[in-house]
Amino acid sequence: MTKQGKIILMAGIALVAALGVTRVAQAQSAPVSAALADATVGEKADGYLGIRGSVAANVRAEVESINIKRRAAYTQRAAARGVSVEAVAAATGCKTLSAVAAGRAYQLDDGVWRVRGAGDPAPVPGNCPAV
Amino acid sequence: MNNAKLTNTEDGATRWAMRCLILIPLAGLSAALAGCIQVKAPDKPIEINLNVNVKQEVLVRLQRDAEEIIQDNPELFPK
Repeated sequence: MTKQGKIILMAGIALVAALGVTRVAQAQSAPVSAALADATVGEKADGYLGIRGSVAANVRAEVESINIKRRAAYTQRAAARGVSVEAVAAATGCKTLSAVAAGRAYQLDDGVWRVRGAGDPAPVPGNCPAV
Repeated sequence: MNNAKLTNTEDGATRWAMRCLILIPLAGLSAALAGCIQVKAPDKPIEINLNVNVKQEVLVRLQRDAEEIIQDNPELFPK
C-alpha cells in the first residue's frame, strides 16, 4: 500500500469514528428532545429540566442525568462568583425560559406547568430581568 | 355684637380674655388627643421580605454567566 493510500485509509477510519461518537451523543439527548417537543418535559424557572406528567424510563433517566450535570456546572460557576448554586441556576432559568418555543412546556416559580401558546410573550420568571 | 359687649361691659374684656386663656390650653389638649395617630402594637412580628430584591439584583448580575453556561454546555440544554 502506498503512503498516500495509508493516509486516506487513516482519514477514513477517523471520520467513521467521529461520526459514531456524534451519533451516540445524539442518541443520548434524542428522547429528551422528543419529550421537549411534545411538552412532556420542560424547562423550569429553577434552572433545571422537569417532567410534566408521565414519561418513559429512559427519558426520566436522561432528564435526571442532565440535571446532575447542570448542577455541577452551576456549582462550579457559583464558587467562582461567590454566590449560591440556586442563584446561578435561577439566572440560567431566566435564559432557558425566555427561549421556550411555542408549544413547549415551562414551569414558573409557582410550580405550575404551562405550555407557551403561539402568540404568547416569552415567559419571565418572577425575579428575572425583563427580556 | 361681641365687640360692643366687650367694650361696653366693665372689665368684660379682661374677664373674657382670662376665660380664653384658661380655655386655650384645654382646647389644645383635646385637639391634640383627637389628632393623635393611634399606634397599636401589631400582634404578629413584622416581616420584611428582602429576599426578592436581593435575588433580582443577583440574577441580573449573573445573566452573562448563565449565557456562558448554556453556550459552553449545549448537550445539557437540548432544544
